[in-house]
Formats: sequence, structure tokens, C-alpha cells
Amino acid sequence: MARARDVEGLDPHTPFARAAARAVSVRAEELFEHSADVLDTQDIERVHDMRVATRRLRAVLEIFAPCFPADQHRPVLKDVKRLADALGARRDPDVQLEALDRLAAVVRKVEGPGLEAFAARLRAEQEAGNETLAAALQEARTGALAERLRALVAAAQRSADEAEAQADEDATALDGDRADTGTGKPGDGDIRVADEEPVTA
Amino acid sequence: MKARKVKGLDSDTPLADNARRIVQTRLDEVYRFVPRALDPARVDELHDMRIAAKRLRYVLEVTAHCFGPYADTARKRTKELQDVIGEIHDCDVLAPRVDALLSELRSADAQAILQRAGGADDLEPRLATRGPNATRYRGLQALAAWLQARRALLHDRFLELWSRWGRDAVKARLEYALEEHPAVS
Repeated sequence: MARARDVEGLDPHTPFARAAARAVSVRAEELFEHSADVLDTQDIERVHDMRVATRRLRAVLEIFAPCFPADQHRPVLKDVKRLADALGARRDPDVQLEALDRLAAVVRKVEGPGLEAFAARLRAEQEAGNETLAAALQEARTGALAERLRALVAAAQRSADEAEAQADEDATALDGDRADTGTGKPGDGDIRVADEEPVTA
Repeated sequence: MKARKVKGLDSDTPLADNARRIVQTRLDEVYRFVPRALDPARVDELHDMRIAAKRLRYVLEVTAHCFGPYADTARKRTKELQDVIGEIHDCDVLAPRVDALLSELRSADAQAILQRAGGADDLEPRLATRGPNATRYRGLQALAAWLQARRALLHDRFLELWSRWGRDAVKARLEYALEEHPAVS
């Protein structure tokens, strides 16, 4: 199984929305990297890796949900879940067939026909699962899933930029207030007041 | 199993402050199914516990670095737990399907034997082994027995892992790691 790639540039202080943009960006890249030759039933690890990548992407979409516009986030999450289900429809018979093959290699001859009867069913399911997966991959392409994921990342990025700009603006305004009324250090404002001409009637 | 909603998340506040709430909620969810999931007969609860462990693992994958080295250890321990429950789940999915196929083949054989009997008053004993699926039972029965034994063995391994969670105080140590890193906002 492919190890999750580290999401670079995150630290505890990273604003949640910026972390969301980075995490979804990395996990979406991982998903599409693992989509190559996924329909090849001779190499079942490809489906497994892509399935794990969809789970990881789904996880970050759920973890960081408050950072994305709900009307864009909801349909993307739904499509990622659909893709994960389609990968599961292929993966489940893959795993079961693998286990059965291991068993068939060591049992007595008399047990072979029963195992083969079960394996035949699993192979039919694997084939059907592959068709389901092919349709889901096509749907992801026509539905521009990659582009919509990029749009989500951009929205979270914008939200983080705006929040930081606002925070900078607030800090500047606060500095301005301090300059007007003193630094706030004990005695600072008092001295200025003391230097002023006494108000006379 | 639907994930419990995490309250108080804010996109403008630091990652660590939000991650703490999410990790704590997902950790609590893992424990929600104990002790029921420890009973080998409680298949659904164990399945839900696996999903809860998966959610905890994935949140730790992106946020463990906020809470020091123990959070990453907890991630590894959670993965171990998720893996073993996942293998138990595979047996739970497969075993009833093998039984169903056996039952289906037996019914088909009964039907075929009945047809061979024609209009006889009773069945010839020799027809017992003449069903078209007669050679398939042994393999399927062997598979069913193997799955049952493997499930029992994996469940024991799960119980051992879970008791290690208790001995090693995984929950308390992870919660300490969450608390030890104070709010950064």
C-alpha cells in the first residue's frame, strides 16, 4: 500500500483554511497519480492504492469541510465517495480471489472443484466491478472532478488570504490606535497628558 | 456509521486548535463501541469500530505533527487496530457467502435428484451422490471451516491488541499529547 505523502508546509499555527488547501491539493494529486492502469486486473495493487488514495482524499474533505464553500464541497465529496464505492466493487473480489488462490494452492485435489465454484462467482464480480469502475472513472473525467477539486483548493486559499489580510489590517489599525493614545506602556500616555498645556477656563 | 459532527471548528483559526477537537471526537468514537465490539458475536459493532479507527487514523495522518511524537505513535497503533478489524470484516463478509453458495448448490442438487427419480414412490439411495454439484461440497465446507477458524484467530489478535491499548494507555497518552500542546490562537 502506498504511504501517504507528507503535506508540506503545515505547522500547528497554519490557519485551518490554508491547511485545508494544502492537504486537499496533495491528496487529490495522489488520487490521480494512482489512477493509471487501474483497470488492469493482473495488477490488483493499483486498485488498492487508488482506493486508499480516495479514502485519504475523502478524509481531508471531511476534516476540513468548514473551509470550503458548501455548495461546491458537497457535490465533490459525493463524487469522491462514488468513486471510492466503485473502487470497492473491484477491490473486494480482488482480495477474495487472492485469498482463495492461496488456499487453492495448498488444498487436496478433492477440494478443488468447490473452491473453483466460488472463484468463478468472484471472477464474475471482479469483471462487473471493473465495468463499474470504468464507468466511475469516465464520470469523474466528464464531471471534471480534478478541476472542481482545484477550485475547492483555490477557494480555501482565497479564504485564508482574506483572513490574513484582515488580520494584518486589524493589527495595523491597532498599532495606529496605540500611536494615537500612546503605546499602552505604563506612564507613556500619562507623560504626554502631563506635557500638554493645562486647560484653562 | 455516520461520523459525529465536530463542534466549534473555525477556518480562520490555527490548524492545531481545530485538529485537537477533531482528534478528540474521533478518539471518543473509537471507544464508543467498547465493550460491545469485544464480544465476537457483535459483528456490526466491530465493523463500526473499524470505521471509527479509520477516521481517527486519517485525521492523525495530517495533524499528528501538531501534537508531538506520541500522536504519530497513536496513528500507528490505530492503523494496526484498523488492519486487524479489517481482516475480521473480510471473513465476516465471505463466510455467509460461502454458506449461501453451499445452500444454493444443495437445493439445485435436490431438484436434480428429484427429477432423476422420475415418478418413483421413493428415492434410490444411490442417487444421493449423483447431484451435479456433489463434488463441490468438500471444498466449500473446507473454505467455510477455514474462514471460521481464521476469524476466531484474528478476533483473539484484536482482543490482544485492544488490551495492549489499555496497558499502554493509548487514549490517555494521546489526550495528554493533545492537551500538552496548548491552544496557539
